[in-house]
Amino acid sequence: MSVSQHEPPVSAPEPASWSAWVRDRAVRTLPPEKLLPDKQPTYVASWIYVFGVLSLSALAVIILSGTILALKGPGWWHFTGIGHFFNSVHLWSVELFFFVMVVHLWGKYFMAAWRGGRKGVWITGSITFLVAIPCALTGYVSQQNFDAQWISTQAKDAMNAAGIGSFFNLLNFGQMYSYHILLLPAAVVAIVIGHILLVRRHGVVPPFKLAATASRAGRDGAGPDAREASS
Amino acid sequence: MAAIFNLNHHAPYVHWHFLQMSVSNIVVIVLMVIVFWAAILIKFPTHGMRGKS
Repeated sequence: MSVSQHEPPVSAPEPASWSAWVRDRAVRTLPPEKLLPDKQPTYVASWIYVFGVLSLSALAVIILSGTILALKGPGWWHFTGIGHFFNSVHLWSVELFFFVMVVHLWGKYFMAAWRGGRKGVWITGSITFLVAIPCALTGYVSQQNFDAQWISTQAKDAMNAAGIGSFFNLLNFGQMYSYHILLLPAAVVAIVIGHILLVRRHGVVPPFKLAATASRAGRDGAGPDAREASS
Repeated sequence: MAAIFNLNHHAPYVHWHFLQMSVSNIVVIVLMVIVFWAAILIKFPTHGMRGKS
């Protein structure tokens, strides 16, 4: 193939502004049909693929119930019936979040979900799990009761032994509360958003091919990835 | 406020060699394993929809 010396090479025009550059880049990286797909591969029709969405649902309940608790304050969540209810909703949504997140983690581990250029998906998921742990633990010391007092006085020794007690002080309620309701939840939500965008970009990881399926797919020229069904 | 279980005692623990874990944590881990295998083995309802789309 020859290129005329008088014609400039065809390329996309340079965006006029930074906002146009960001928009072009975003749409190229994650086109709308990938961002909000209406079909999924057939292998997604399995209960094990449901646990990511269950984790997100539990996280939404955590944020919502936590927002209500933060608005009303400790006097409300300790001494009123409806306060007890939202306190329990917050606790049990966290328990559920970790429960389904662990099952999600096991499922993805045994699928080797980092395959096919998905290592970013795996890494953001792992970091979410690691950041969610101190997010939950700072909640235990933010309760404003004897349980919180006991946990903070015991756990401070571990922080001091690790050499970080001077800037992560479990006896400082204001600091722990700030970590619990702002810094760590913001980090969890931000990383989860990145995790979801990466999943949408790379697609859901396919299962391993069985030996018989792989050889048949090789003969037919199509594997299970080629089939699609309505989600 | 009444609890379903009597919580007015120390949590029961299992000691086995180096392993020390509360019974409640063991129950949660066993439940997670059961749910994990159930999610793999139980058929997803949309399997019957194959070919109808």
